[in-house]
Amino acid sequence: MLSQSLGKMAEFRFLGYLGEIFGKKRVRISLESPMKLRDILEVEFPEDRSIVLINQRVGNFDSLIRNEDKVVIMPMISGG
Amino acid sequence: MKGYAGKILRVNLSDGRMSKEEIPEEMMRKFLGGRGFAAKILWDEVSGVDPLSEGNKIVFSTGPLTGLPIPSSGKMVIASKSPLTGGYGDGNIGSMAAVHLRRAGYDVLIVEGKSERPCYIAIQDEKVEILDARDIWGKMSFEAQDSLEAKHGKNVGVLVIGPGGENIVRFATVMSQRGRAGGRPGMGAVMGSKNLKAIVVRGTGEIPVFDVERLREMGKEGYGEIKGKENYDFWIRQGTMQVFEWANENNCLPTSNFREGTFRFSKRLDGYALERLKVGRKGCPLCNMQCGNIIKDAENMNAELDYENVGMLGSNIGMDDLRKVGVLNRMADEYGLDTISLGSCLGFLMEASEKKLIEARIEWGDFDACQKAIEDIVKRRGLGEIIFEGVRKASERVGGDSQDWAMHVKGLEISAYDCHACPGMALSYGTSPIGAHHKDAWVISWEVSTDRFSYSKEKVEKIIELQRLRGGLFESMTTCRLPWIEVDFGLHWYPKYLEAARGVGISQEEISELGDRIYTLIRSYWVRESRSWSRKMDYPPSRWFEEPLNQGDLKGYKLDRARYDGMLSRYYEIRGWDEDGAPQKETLEGLGLGDVVSVLGENG
Repeated sequence: MLSQSLGKMAEFRFLGYLGEIFGKKRVRISLESPMKLRDILEVEFPEDRSIVLINQRVGNFDSLIRNEDKVVIMPMISGG
Repeated sequence: MKGYAGKILRVNLSDGRMSKEEIPEEMMRKFLGGRGFAAKILWDEVSGVDPLSEGNKIVFSTGPLTGLPIPSSGKMVIASKSPLTGGYGDGNIGSMAAVHLRRAGYDVLIVEGKSERPCYIAIQDEKVEILDARDIWGKMSFEAQDSLEAKHGKNVGVLVIGPGGENIVRFATVMSQRGRAGGRPGMGAVMGSKNLKAIVVRGTGEIPVFDVERLREMGKEGYGEIKGKENYDFWIRQGTMQVFEWANENNCLPTSNFREGTFRFSKRLDGYALERLKVGRKGCPLCNMQCGNIIKDAENMNAELDYENVGMLGSNIGMDDLRKVGVLNRMADEYGLDTISLGSCLGFLMEASEKKLIEARIEWGDFDACQKAIEDIVKRRGLGEIIFEGVRKASERVGGDSQDWAMHVKGLEISAYDCHACPGMALSYGTSPIGAHHKDAWVISWEVSTDRFSYSKEKVEKIIELQRLRGGLFESMTTCRLPWIEVDFGLHWYPKYLEAARGVGISQEEISELGDRIYTLIRSYWVRESRSWSRKMDYPPSRWFEEPLNQGDLKGYKLDRARYDGMLSRYYEIRGWDEDGAPQKETLEGLGLGDVVSVLGENG
C-alpha cells in the first residue's frame, strides 16, 4: 500500500524529538487511497503533546491524508 | 508557618540601617512568596517615586519551595519599580544566592536608599555588612563574580551587575554565576542607581520544612520522573533551542525587527546547528535539566545560548552565524544587559538606519557594527545615546514612523515570538504584568494547535489559566516552570511539595485566587504609578496590525485591531477590571485587596 517511489505523494515532516521517534525528519509516501494519519505512520506518538498541521490547518492523528498533502507533526513545546 | 525562614532583611544604603522583620502569616497565606511578596511590598512601600531615585526599593524575594531538594528550585524573584517601563518590574533568576538567602534565615531582602559610593552587601547568616566595592566597580559581571568569590570563598551566592547596570542602561539585568540573568525591566539599573554592585550571601542554617523526609522522598521521585520523560534526552541536547525550528516553521520567528516570521538562514541558527557547536551545558542550582547550551563562540570563548537570545540576536537582526550570535550574547552577559531587549534595540537601530532616521549606519547582520553598538550602549555614547533607554524612548528621539515599529508593550521590548498571525500570543504580551514578556502566558503552542487565527473567548480564558499558573503559582512558590512546561513534569507534584514544605497544601481554587490577587495588585500598581493609564497600554505595536507578513506560508497575515480590542475587553471582563483595564472595587474587595480601593478610588 505504501511506496516511496510513485509520482504523487504525501509529504510528512517531524519537528524536534518527534523526528527521533519516527526515525526520520522527513518522508514522502504515495497513498493508494486516503488513509488515517495514525495508520500511515505506524509509530506511536505522544498525541496529547503533539500538533498536527495538514496543509497549514490543524488536524489530528485520525485525519485522512491524501496524496499531495503536506503534513507537519510537531511537539507541543513550550519555549521557556 | 513552616516552609518559610519567616523574615525580611531590610538594608538601607543611605544611612546603613538594617532590620529583620517578621513576615506576617497572613502575607504568606495571601501572597505565597516570590512575586506575590514582591508585589505586596512594592504596593505598600514604593509609590510615586522616580525608579532611579533613592526612594525606589529593590526586592529579592524567594518562595516556600526555593532552595528545597525538589526539581529546579534554585530561583528567586527580583522586583522593583522599573526604570525601563515606569511600572511594576520583575524577573526571576537561578542563583545559589536564592538558596543561601533562605539558609541564612531570610525569605526576602529589601534594599532601599542609595550609597554614596560603590558598595556591596555581604550577608553571612545573622551578620550583614555594607562593604566597599570600589575595587570591583567597572568590572564585567564574570570578573566581579570571580573577585567576590576569591574574597568570600566559592561557597557563596552572588548577585552582581556589570557596567550596563552601573551606567544605568535601562535594560540592565542582574547577573549570577557567569551567565544566569534576571530582571529584564532594568533591575540591574536600579542596583546601579543605588551604587550597589553586588550581593554576596552565605547561609549555613536549615530551611524549616514541615515534613523533611517526605519532601526529600518526593523530590527524589520528581527528579527521577523528569529524567524518564520521553523528550528528556532531546531536551538535554537542544534545550529551548528546539523552539527555533518550531518558530520558523510556524511563521513566528522574529525576523528583521519583527517584520517577518521566517528567516531565510534559519538552519544556520537552529537547534541542530547548536548541537554541532555545543561543548557543554549550564544551569541553575538544584536543576537536572539545565537549559544553558555552551558553545565556543566566534572568539573561541564559551558563550551560553538559549532560544530567546538566538531569536533576538540572530534572526531579528539578520545575524546568520551562531558563533557570532554567541559573541553578542556573551557581551550582553558580561556587561549585564538583557539579551532580548538588546536584540530589539539593535533591530530598531538597523531599521532606523535603513530608513535614514539616524545618521549613523548600522546594517542588518553587521557583526562588527553590533559589537561597537553594544559598547556604545554601555558607555551611552554615539548610537548608545539614542537607544540606552530602550526602543520606546528611542522612537521618541528618532521620530518618523518609528513608534509603529518600536517593538515593545508598556516600554518592555517584546521577546522572541512574532505575532502577525498569533492573536492570542499578542494578547499575552499585551497583558503581561511587566510589559511584553513570554514567561507569564506562553500560549502560542496551544494557539497553533487549535484555531490559530481566531480571537475567541477560549483563547482569552487559556491565557488567564496560564497566567495563574506560570505568573502566579510558579513565580511565587518560587521554582522554575520549565520541568512542567518543557518535559511535562506532573503539575500535581507542586501542591504536594507545598504541603510537605509548609504543612499546608494549595487547592486549585486557591491557585486561581492567588494568581488573580497578584495580577490585580500588579495591575493596580501600574494604574497608580502611570501618569496617563489607559487600555492602550495593553496594545502591541502597530506593526502587527498595519504591516502584513511579506514572506512565508502566512504571507499577507496581520492582526485585526478591532478583534484584538474585543479580546482585550473579554480579558478585562473575566478579570473584573473596567474598560480601561483598571481593577474594579468589587474585584479588589473579593480578592482581599480592600486597602487598594481607597487608593485607586471607588471605580478602581
